[in-house]
Amino acid sequence: MTRVTIPIGPQHPLLKEPLSFLLTVEGEEVMESVLRLGYVHRGIERLCQERTYVQNIPLIERVCGICSHVHTTTYCQGVEALSGLEVPPRGLYLRALMCEMERIHSHLLWLGVLSKNMGFDTIFMYAWRDREIVLDIMEELSGGRVSHAVNVVGGVRIDLDEEHARSILTRFDVLEQQVERALELIEYEPTLMARTQGVGILSPEQVRRYCVVGPVARASGVDIDLRRDLPRPPYDRLEFKVITHPAGDVWARTLVRVRETRESLHLCRQIIAQLPDGPTSVTAKRRVPEGEVVSRSEAPRGEVIYYIRSDDSDKPARLKIRTPTMTALITLPDQLRGATMADVPVVLSGVDLCIACADR
Amino acid sequence: MPRYNWPLLPEILRTLFNRPITVQYPFGPLEMPERYRGRVDIQAEKCRGCGLCVRDCPASALELERVDKETFRLIYHPDRCAYCGQCEESCRFDSIYLTNDFVPGTPHRENLTTVLVDRKPEEGEESGGDDEPA
Repeated sequence: MTRVTIPIGPQHPLLKEPLSFLLTVEGEEVMESVLRLGYVHRGIERLCQERTYVQNIPLIERVCGICSHVHTTTYCQGVEALSGLEVPPRGLYLRALMCEMERIHSHLLWLGVLSKNMGFDTIFMYAWRDREIVLDIMEELSGGRVSHAVNVVGGVRIDLDEEHARSILTRFDVLEQQVERALELIEYEPTLMARTQGVGILSPEQVRRYCVVGPVARASGVDIDLRRDLPRPPYDRLEFKVITHPAGDVWARTLVRVRETRESLHLCRQIIAQLPDGPTSVTAKRRVPEGEVVSRSEAPRGEVIYYIRSDDSDKPARLKIRTPTMTALITLPDQLRGATMADVPVVLSGVDLCIACADR
Repeated sequence: MPRYNWPLLPEILRTLFNRPITVQYPFGPLEMPERYRGRVDIQAEKCRGCGLCVRDCPASALELERVDKETFRLIYHPDRCAYCGQCEESCRFDSIYLTNDFVPGTPHRENLTTVLVDRKPEEGEESGGDDEPA
């Protein structure tokens, strides 16, 4: 049979961000795929070296449009470690609260994108409707739906009073009902199962070889989660389950993500219940003493790593960002091999790509 | 083993009787939350022209034209602003702040530029700051 090469991207209705695939197909079967990246490279790492530590925070927030808070959290953790700052417990709890709400928002967004890409618009509408609840809460808390500008070096800017906390908890009840319904839907909806089961399989060996992190790794049965494996406060005092699934296909990823959303809701409730009193931030010096640090956090898509080297000035000498999407992207040629053309959208959206993150 | 074949049906029926959850803007009002980070404004009489907000602004949206200690202008370019709130965080005199008023689109970006503080030395008055649009 003749081989045909089909380009997908950089501009394609299936992709929400620019990314290019050259698929070589034989009939309906994908034989080979070549990945091209770099369409949204903005040179953020280099830009960071030109700006002060304070100015870098809004810039780093724009690495990713979905998990913006966890990026600044990781960056601030690193700078705080370099300057030897101790963040007040209330600041750490509020940071974690935003992180968990961001995880809920990211996973629901992903559920919407996946269902949209496989033509199941009903779930897309419901998932994005429920996501509004958590987006509204984040907007009330921080003043922005996706760029929260919550973190400062030394703590957080926002505070949460009791009345607001009560109103948030009431809305979490509504959200929890919706998430439970979504979970029921995913477990029992025959159309969704038919489209996602056995598609885009990654074995635990492949996950280890490609260093895949986050929900994609957990859906292949690899039990990794930085919140548990490297427990920073407040996660060492919170109870949560790390969700894994042995199947390794897109259906397993869907289940893992929606169950994680439920876990994140429990975490948010615990954080609000345990919220300690006190200040939310400490004043940081502008100059950071010489040193280097590696800072890691569990983003919605997996482990995000920041490397910062300082040279006793107010600007970082080097800043390196490793985002979780990078690890998931390189598995795509493996996942696509042998898939049919109709499964390509499901496989591509199944790993939850964030191209802006990967290109930086 | 599916418990029932139409798990979506109850949700669809429930949604049938709900009001639309979309906002009717621009045909209806759009209420922003209290902490929403919108256009930057200033309490001009409190401004000392120290330039901390200008130094920390990540988007170069603030500009300080200084003649001497008494005479300076603080200019704000909303078209460059990232609405991050760093100026409010950096201000030592609680002078500059973010309002919850979002900036609508404009075909002419230069019209957006505002002079936040136009301070001139005045006789008989210690802090004669006024807030005039450009």
